[in-house]
Amino acid sequence: MTDLLYNNQHIYLFVALFLLFFGIAGVVCRRTLIGMLVSMELIMNGAGLNLVALNRFVSPENGYGMAFTLIIMGIAAAEAAIALGIIMLTFKKYGHIEGGDLKEMKD
Amino acid sequence: MTVGEIIFLITIVATLGGAAMAVLSGSIVYAMMGLVTTMFGIAGLYVFLNSPFLSMMQILIYVGAVSVLIAFAVMLIGPLYRKPKEWTTVGKFVAALGVALVSLFMFVRFVMETFGDTLPQGVPLAENPSFEITTKEIGRLFFNNLVLPFELISLLVVVAILGAIMLALFSRGNK
Repeated sequence: MTDLLYNNQHIYLFVALFLLFFGIAGVVCRRTLIGMLVSMELIMNGAGLNLVALNRFVSPENGYGMAFTLIIMGIAAAEAAIALGIIMLTFKKYGHIEGGDLKEMKD
Repeated sequence: MTVGEIIFLITIVATLGGAAMAVLSGSIVYAMMGLVTTMFGIAGLYVFLNSPFLSMMQILIYVGAVSVLIAFAVMLIGPLYRKPKEWTTVGKFVAALGVALVSLFMFVRFVMETFGDTLPQGVPLAENPSFEITTKEIGRLFFNNLVLPFELISLLVVVAILGAIMLALFSRGNK
């Protein structure tokens, strides 16, 4: 029973690592703000998967990793709500949501 | 290879393929569908990690709430068809790939050096036959040990809702 594929810890860690990889690439190269938000959700999900996998394999006697994954879900939902509010405001003010063209605070 | 392993591989392929689709596709709607696919894959991985409650919460919160929120934003923010292409230049793509690869390399080194040799290859199920953190135990953990983070999360959600309402209703744009 111990050599099944889904009882291997490293697979979960590497899946989370590739989620982080795709998330960072998306945050850097996406043009619109919604695309950046989607990539950030990918990063947060990678973090949650890491927490649950390490909780399962390293310290299986308590459930702190799962509890903090639930907290991460709450934070991600709040972040998505507030970020979409800001995106709507940006669209109302500027007429587009291109991340590269928002230069008002840069000047 | 058992049936469970085949389903596990399908789940991993769904997760990584959805993530690639969320990043590399040209349209935002396809990116959102890729995000939904990734969320379903991660919910499946949570099932394989013996935590079905988290899996259900993942589907409820991400697939049910966050994706619908993003879909409404895509519907309200329009028209996006004027600029259908997401990619700007090749240089930006190369820069993104470089940053992501450097971070990937760093974290692979980190994982390997931290967990490579010293960590046991997972706690075997024979020694630890019942990894069953049930929903009841998670609830007891929240209300015994993690009361302050729980309350702070509720406060954060309330502030986020009020802030989103304030941003959406009471600020005026230039149009």
